[in-house]
Amino acid sequence: MAKPIEAEHGDKPWGAPEHPEKHIHLLVVTPEKTVLDTVVDFVAIPLYDGEAGILPGRAPLIGRLGFGELRGRVGQTVDRYFVDGGFAQVRGDSAVILTPRAIPAGELDAAAAETAIKTLESTKPTSTLESADRDRGLARARGMIRVARRKA
Amino acid sequence: MAKARAIIKRRRAVENIRKITRTMELIATNRFKKALTRATEAAAYTRKLAELVAELGKTEQEASHPLLVARDPVARSLLLVLTSNRGLAGGYNSNVLRAATARHVEGQASGVEVKLEVAGKRGINFFRFRKLVPQETYTQFEDKPQYAEIETLADRYIKLYLTGAIDRLDVAYTEFTSISRQTAVVRTLLPATALDLETPAQAAKSAAAVKQTQVSYEFLPDAQSILEEIVPVSFKARLFKCFLDAAVSEQIARMVAMGGATKNADDLAKTLTRQYNRARQNQITRELADIVGAAAALE
Repeated sequence: MAKPIEAEHGDKPWGAPEHPEKHIHLLVVTPEKTVLDTVVDFVAIPLYDGEAGILPGRAPLIGRLGFGELRGRVGQTVDRYFVDGGFAQVRGDSAVILTPRAIPAGELDAAAAETAIKTLESTKPTSTLESADRDRGLARARGMIRVARRKA
Repeated sequence: MAKARAIIKRRRAVENIRKITRTMELIATNRFKKALTRATEAAAYTRKLAELVAELGKTEQEASHPLLVARDPVARSLLLVLTSNRGLAGGYNSNVLRAATARHVEGQASGVEVKLEVAGKRGINFFRFRKLVPQETYTQFEDKPQYAEIETLADRYIKLYLTGAIDRLDVAYTEFTSISRQTAVVRTLLPATALDLETPAQAAKSAAAVKQTQVSYEFLPDAQSILEEIVPVSFKARLFKCFLDAAVSEQIARMVAMGGATKNADDLAKTLTRQYNRARQNQITRELADIVGAAAALE
């Protein structure tokens, strides 16, 4: 498992200039409600192909999200969420996460995800559409288990 | 005394009904507030999504997604009708059903096979009475539709559309414009016409806001594929909005209907009180006349 990005880079990103704004305004929006509206020092977002760490002053970014862990760090405390795909938009000192679901890592049910994997693996897709569905479901359940198992 | 007592009995019944309608009004008000909060929260999501689309639009990419492709001619369409599970909501259900029936008849007349899906017991009963058999019926969507439920529904529609089982998806529901304005409408959700999530006025506003701050984004993986990914997401958001709108409008309709009923009951109770007083007075006068008459006869 990859090391968390913030541990590699320390508090300051290498080569990055000092920025007047030291915080990121993190906004996590789902169709049902605004899950998170807070100020963090660092945020790690699960992009479709892996994790991306965002520090204040990052270049603007729009990205597609995969199934994985969203971490917001304030000081020493880290908030962890499982994000169910969606999109991320980073601009200036704000990061907006649009996702169908954001579940706090503590509330994840790894056992349910495992049974989901079992049932999905036992199905035999008969069309490309079904096979895409199956892959999606598998990736989602695996991401959920990964987030649930990781220690805070 | 018989007449006065009958009036009192009626007044008591009216007062009891008033209590019920008043309570229903209060409940509807409460639920309406909750539903409205949910709808407002959901609006934040669609707004952000629209902002994202606006940003992507500036890259001059054309979104090509099978969901955006309109089919001509339309051979099979699906009509989803959103009604309430409970009645006593004024014209709420009948308005939606009228709009839905009009679309259904129109579709059949032009040779389109229209499949029906109905949410809400009132709609189900209506179509049963008209001897139309819906493909699917749903009664689980109350005043708090869950996104997860709508998402599974949306996924099924997407699948139906992609496999060619349907060529068009229409939703008949009550659109919530403002607290004083809700209209029953039939909207075509598939093919997704464009990535328009907002009204033109709102879109212009957010476009202006976007234009003010020109930023060059890094797209991961690239603008095109993000845009394509947004198409089903925005469809789901729109379908969810239909359900939320319907929930808000239902509560408003019930609130208004029950408010009216309470007022009527008040008026009726007042009239009955007046009638009762008159009846009682008449009786007293009559008895007095009797007594006076009898006394006079004795003298």
